[in-house]
Amino acid sequence: MASEKKGAAASIGGFFKAIGNYFSGFGTAFAKGDAFVKLSALWMGAGYARRKQYVKAVIMTILEVAVIAFTVTFAMQYVPKFGTLGTVKMEKVFNMKTMKSEFNDYDNSFQILLFSLFSFVVWAAFIVVWMKNIVNAYKLQKMEEAGEHIKTFKEDLHSYIEEKFHITLLTLPVLGIVVFTAIPILLLIFVAFTNYDQQHMPPTELFTWTGFTNFLSLFGGGGLTTTFSYAFVRVLGWTLVWAFFATFTTYIGGILLSLLLNSTKTKWPKMWRTLFIVTIAVPQFVSLLLVRNFFSNGGIVNTICANIGLTGFLRDIGLVSTSYIPFLSAPGWAHVMIILINIWIGVPYQMLIATGVLMNLPADQLESARVDGAKPFQIFRKITMPYMLFVTGPALVTDFVKNINNFNVIYLLTQDVYTTTNQAMANSQAKEVDLLVTWLFRLTQDYYNYKMASAIGIIVFIICAVFTLIAFNRMIGNGKEEDYQ
Amino acid sequence: MRKMKGNRLSSIVMHNLLIAVLAFIWLIPIVWLACTSFSSYSGMNTSTFFPKEWSIIHYIKLFQPDTVAQFPQWFMNTFIIACVTCVISTAFVLMVAYATSVMRFPMRRPLMNLAVILNLFPGMLAMIAVYFTLKSFNLTNSYAGLIMVYSGSAGLGYLIAKGFFDTVPRALCEAARIDGCSEARIFAQIVIPMSRPIIVYTVISSFLVPWMDFVYAKMILNAGISEKYTVAIGLYKMLDKSLINNYFTMFCAGGVLVSIPISVLFMIMQKFYVEGITGGAVKG
Repeated sequence: MASEKKGAAASIGGFFKAIGNYFSGFGTAFAKGDAFVKLSALWMGAGYARRKQYVKAVIMTILEVAVIAFTVTFAMQYVPKFGTLGTVKMEKVFNMKTMKSEFNDYDNSFQILLFSLFSFVVWAAFIVVWMKNIVNAYKLQKMEEAGEHIKTFKEDLHSYIEEKFHITLLTLPVLGIVVFTAIPILLLIFVAFTNYDQQHMPPTELFTWTGFTNFLSLFGGGGLTTTFSYAFVRVLGWTLVWAFFATFTTYIGGILLSLLLNSTKTKWPKMWRTLFIVTIAVPQFVSLLLVRNFFSNGGIVNTICANIGLTGFLRDIGLVSTSYIPFLSAPGWAHVMIILINIWIGVPYQMLIATGVLMNLPADQLESARVDGAKPFQIFRKITMPYMLFVTGPALVTDFVKNINNFNVIYLLTQDVYTTTNQAMANSQAKEVDLLVTWLFRLTQDYYNYKMASAIGIIVFIICAVFTLIAFNRMIGNGKEEDYQ
Repeated sequence: MRKMKGNRLSSIVMHNLLIAVLAFIWLIPIVWLACTSFSSYSGMNTSTFFPKEWSIIHYIKLFQPDTVAQFPQWFMNTFIIACVTCVISTAFVLMVAYATSVMRFPMRRPLMNLAVILNLFPGMLAMIAVYFTLKSFNLTNSYAGLIMVYSGSAGLGYLIAKGFFDTVPRALCEAARIDGCSEARIFAQIVIPMSRPIIVYTVISSFLVPWMDFVYAKMILNAGISEKYTVAIGLYKMLDKSLINNYFTMFCAGGVLVSIPISVLFMIMQKFYVEGITGGAVKG
């Protein structure tokens, strides 16, 4: 336990230490640099121009001009209104000149929020570049003083396929992640502290900051909205139960199936593997929508169950009160069926991954274990599983999180089929089989309740973030990476 | 001696029987899909497993587009989106995985922790904001917007590929470095050719994203123009309560037709997957 905490703490500590070093490096550079280094704070190309790196000087100058132009022409329209998110409501006013009614110059709260945030990100990135620029200028000054060779532009470019190759590799993917994940997440964190819902929809209405109100109503603090906390606890509970079973049933199932298929006893292993792969070759929306109709209240499975008397038997022992088996339309039944159907859809995937990993099993270890007389189960427990956990361990952690956010299975199986009879759940637009994400989706798509959806998203994140970071650090941390290399 | 042989034989039979039973269970819905698609009745058959009358009429109907079903058009749309997404995503995943696995730089661990934190947020939540952002730039109802949504954050899914790169022996990279090989060449000419299985895995999973997903497509292509749909939304709309009685069999036929190219692809990939692992360089 102590080592886990140390792992997480060390990585977070290391992160801040890196930032600290960055700032102190900047401090020394600025204090000890010559006039041109100090001038770099105003004209970013100065240091480079002095050391005859003219191409770099031009690039830096262009960048600086671009950011200033961006600030003046774009950011200044939105950022000053960030504190209020706009005050001028959309109105139709009669224009005396054109003799028509026109819209006034109204504020759009959402655009103010989005473009302010975008400006903040651009400025933050620029400040990092600006500081780095001064550090580099100082480095060049010292190199010149020591009479070292200063790289030409061509040599600089070459370093991006050598020691700086990771920058070349990471730039585009990281940019994609910032634009399509990081900024949207920041945006919705902000939305959680506003009253952005159906009554406050831009462009016709404004929304504004409301502090922690949404979080209070989620935890039952807000009188009328206690149903939100009622639904939240239940949906969260099912989400965790689902994620646990969905992850471990398919993981273990996949390993067992691949061991079964790769055993020397198996005749025609290729054919069997192909048959299992066929089930996942069918896109999920086809197979899941099909299975949903397969198990529907008036579907084929119900007909068969009624014919062989299973429905009657279940009714006799009190498990079913209707004339059909409510596979996907009653709580309990639906929960179990969803997990079972997920095994059907998930095990072949895990089998594929496990097969690949198992082929890389250290053969010498297996051989010596066999020579020492280890039983198959012992080999599985002592060699196969630890190796599997090492290679797929990080993926197991992300699988768990993915299952918490597994939209497809729940949505495709229960949308339009499952209706809740629990009035308290229905009041907050939730169902018993909902995961937090499907609930979020419904809140935003059908009820435009963005504020609550965002608040729920943040709470879920906080709950599982701490837990998962510890697991992640423990698995890939502690220098285990080199063990199997 | 003979008794032992008998034991071994019966255990082999049991073993294969177990696999056969499992395969049978796994295939029931697929068989139902294939059979139903050849039914002459348009609605869902609820009384018998096999259709009462066989016919290929619904396959023919699929290629005679009407206002609801424009299958050939959907197929092309999805194919184009999938190809572009696949190229971008695969490149992103491999780049991030290689940088975090093989290279050592000060920001490595902090970036990896940041990626985990970002992965913990519900993707759906970010999508709602992405939708508004795309709308502000007029990219909704366009394939460019959809491709960006599918591949933009692909780099976050690097962990499985990283797990594989971690098992590539470092001695090889060291040897290349001593021989004066640049980092870029080590990546492109040594590690990548050794990593066929994981590349294949990445290609499969990213190519499948547009074929499987319908939520994002539904969100982005929300103008309700049938010829702009991907296969997923098109087929999903066929199961609308008002349409299911006329289109269920066509849905099955469409499902079969979508699955065939994907299955073929899967089999080719499967071959690479096995070959790539067993035919490696210095392993272990």
